[in-house]
Formats: sequence, structure tokens, C-alpha cells
Amino acid sequence: MARLILVFNKKVIKDYPFVKENMTIGRDEGNDIAIDNLAVSGFHARIDKTGDTYILTDLQSTNGTFVNDKKIAPHKLQHKDKIIIGKQMLFFAMSKQEQAKVAETEVDRTMILDTAKQKDLLAKQAEKKGMEVPVKKEKLGIISFIDGSDQGEIQLKKKLTKMGKADTSEIRLGGFLMPATVATISRRPNGYAITSTSSTKVKVNNQVIKETHYLKDFDTIEIGSYKFQFYTHESEDEK
Amino acid sequence: MKFKVASLSDPGLKRETNEDYLAMDNSIGLYIVADGMGGHQAGEVASKVAVKIIQKNVNYWITENSPEDEVFDFPDNTLSRRGNYILSSIKLANRVIHELSKVYAEYKGMGTTIVVLAIMPYTAIASNVGDSRIYLIRGDKIELLSREHNMVTEQLELGLISKEEAQASPLRHVLTRNLGSSDTVDAEVFEIEPMNNDRFLLCTDGLTDLVSDDEILRIIKNGDDPDHLCHQLISEANKKGGHDNITVSLIFVNKHDDERHGIIRKFWHLFEK
Repeated sequence: MARLILVFNKKVIKDYPFVKENMTIGRDEGNDIAIDNLAVSGFHARIDKTGDTYILTDLQSTNGTFVNDKKIAPHKLQHKDKIIIGKQMLFFAMSKQEQAKVAETEVDRTMILDTAKQKDLLAKQAEKKGMEVPVKKEKLGIISFIDGSDQGEIQLKKKLTKMGKADTSEIRLGGFLMPATVATISRRPNGYAITSTSSTKVKVNNQVIKETHYLKDFDTIEIGSYKFQFYTHESEDEK
Repeated sequence: MKFKVASLSDPGLKRETNEDYLAMDNSIGLYIVADGMGGHQAGEVASKVAVKIIQKNVNYWITENSPEDEVFDFPDNTLSRRGNYILSSIKLANRVIHELSKVYAEYKGMGTTIVVLAIMPYTAIASNVGDSRIYLIRGDKIELLSREHNMVTEQLELGLISKEEAQASPLRHVLTRNLGSSDTVDAEVFEIEPMNNDRFLLCTDGLTDLVSDDEILRIIKNGDDPDHLCHQLISEANKKGGHDNITVSLIFVNKHDDERHGIIRKFWHLFEK
């Protein structure tokens, strides 16, 4: 439980524990903390407690409310904040548990680590596991025609490779019944995936695929009279 | 191609301000979400600047039909032209935020994550920097179309930790990349073919820290009104504590049957920008 400590000339005048969900401060006797001082308005300020958060709001007072010498708009109180109302100082203190909770939520805030520190952290972790720091290599997908046609091998460099009769297809396939785009192969976070995009059947390892299928090394793809094999190759580039 | 879209951003239960920002531009099928960070209110500035710069520049380059080598920075030849517009706009946003953070004391250290989704009839492009996510819900499967830039993902990919260790790790909020910290940045960009009934979700980690992939899938598959589903997702995150800002954008695709429009598709490249 937090408390508000009224201080004057470095002496504690009164201690107000935060027993309610909100406390008001002002000259009027109806306030939870009544301060008899001409510079203090009738109802000067209010503190609302929601969960572990304490918000201090000025109630349109004549002279304003200050925390750590700055005039406040609604302010989230922190442990050891000095609230000044009129000429009075109220010291806001949180209990040890509340302080711990605040510290916990602070850790959840996002941070960014620079490249040097990242490499350092990974190296230390690898060492702890008795591993050498592994290096990630980019894997490039390759389509190899195995039906005797002259197309040979095609590297799947693009993020989206289109297969079909359309002139713009990266892998051009002919034939009377071949649609403009019969299938697409996309390079996704988890690897290469082939998607059937027309009513023409696309088979992978002899099974007709429904929509999308993730390709594994040496999968065989059949489209119409075409047959190819998919495999990946470690490229020289490090990711 | 028709879209049903909705989005919602909520400060959550524990934060004073909302440093997330988003934009939805149905005229070009462009959807952006950002999660800002930095002292005082710098996070709000970073996320807003990023979203506005990306939206403005992608719109401009599309209107001008700019060639890839005339946009900001070098084009990536594994991407389509639209993919390069998006990549370039992200790099430009990064440079601007970085410069702002160097010039103005109150913006020191500010940064933001970014996720961008662009949908055209035959290509959908998903791009990200940081730990905000893009999900594709297709059929009864949910799949990530983003690659998180945080320490735990690096550790997972290198085989240094397990999935369980990753979920409990105190490092899970430590980013390895964002917009603003460095004067250059490389973004993940993925391109796929959108299919009829695809549902895309863009979200900040305020959602995914608390709600699992399975739960997200269950919620999204259980309704047809994206607005209602956005509310449900946020409410689920708040039920579990709502310790961060939560932003969700849902885009539902309604695409015409490809075969019937084969003739359009054959010549689409003449109109594609």
C-alpha cells in the first residue's frame, strides 16, 4: 500500500496511507487530505489508484499542482515523487511490493541490441552449450526438369516464382490446356511452398495438392506432362 | 478483388499512452501497423512517422509508375516492382526516424517496428522489421508471413534454445532490428499468391505475447465480420493482462475465380504497377 507523507521543514507532519481507490487533496475539509493554506484551492487535486498505477490529476486549481518542481498534466506517480500543492510538500512513497511490480513491468518494455552485442550474446550462449556459433546460410531453391525436356535447371531466386503459359512467368510451361499461371512457388519464412492457382491438377510426390504445400528436398512435382524435382542448395551468401 | 477490412488499436490495461499506429488504404490495398518505442512520447512519433512515410511514398511511386532503380536505395531483384516500392519506403522511413533521433534530444533512442501488407489481384506482399507480425489464415491453418527480428528468434534459428525456452525467455522483447536505431535497415519481404477467402492479420506483440496462434486461429475462423473479430482479439489480450498496447488489422480477401478471368490474367502485367 502506498502512502502520502506531508512534510514541512524536513519534518513529517502527517502520514496518509492509501486506503481508498482515490484520495482528494485541498483546503476544504471534505478532502481526504485537508490542507489549511491560502495557496491551496478548495478541491485542489486527486489521486486515482487503478491496479498498481497511481494517477495524480490537478482539479483546475488556481495555483496548479507540481511534481518534482514541474507543473503536471495528469501524472503517473512514481516512488519518491515530491508533490507540491500550495506551499505544502507531499512525499509519495510506494510499498516494497508495489516498487517490485513496477520494476517488473519496466523489464517488459522493448529494447534493441546492436549487432556487436547480439553476436556477443549468441557466442556466449553457444559456448555454454559447448557448441561453435553456428552460421546461418541462405538456402536457394532449385527446380530441375526431369522429364527429358530441354529446360535443365532453374534457380528460384525470386520471392514469388510464377509457373504457366503467361509470358511473364519465371518458369514457362506450354501446352494447349496450360493456364496463364498454373502454380506459384513462394519463398516464405519457413521455406519454399508451392501453391496450385488454377483448376489444373498439381501433384507433389504423386499426390494432388490442395492449395499450398511446403516443398522438401527431392520432392517431385508433376504439372500436365511436365515433371520436375525440387531441391535446395546452400548459397555462398550469409544471411 | 474485394476486401473486408477492420482494425483496432487499444492502449491495453497497463500503459498510459498508445505508441502503436496504423493505416489502412483500400484504394491501393495497403495496410500498415507500427509499434513505437522510446522515452517519453518518442514512440508515438516514431510509429506515426513510419506509417505516414510508407503510405505516402508507396502511393506516390505507384501513381508515377516509378522504375525500381529510381526509388530510394537499391532495388532487390528477388522482388516484384511493388515489393521494391515497399522495401524502399521502409528504408526511407528508417532513415528519417534515425535522423530525427539524432537531431532532437527528446527523440533520442526512438524507434518502431513495422509490418506492411500490400494486396493486388495476383500478388500479396508481406514485409516486416521488428517483432510485430503478419499472419495468413488460409483454410484451417495459420501461418506467419513475417520473420521476427528479436534475440529469441535468432537463438531458435541457430538451435541454441528450444521453443519452450523461447516463450519464457527474459530476452523475448529484445529486438535485433527496428526502424530508427541504425542509419540503414534490411526488411523481410515475402510475396505470395492470394487465394479466395484468405484472411490476413497484422498485429503488434501486445496481442501475440498473450494470445497463442491456436487461439488467434480459433477466434478468426469463428466469425465473418472483421470488425467484431478485432474487438474479440483485443478483448482476449486484455483478459490475459493487457500489459502492452495492442493493435490488430484484419483483411479478408474475396477473389474472383482465376479461370474465369484467365484472359485478364494473361495481360495483367501490362497494368500491374
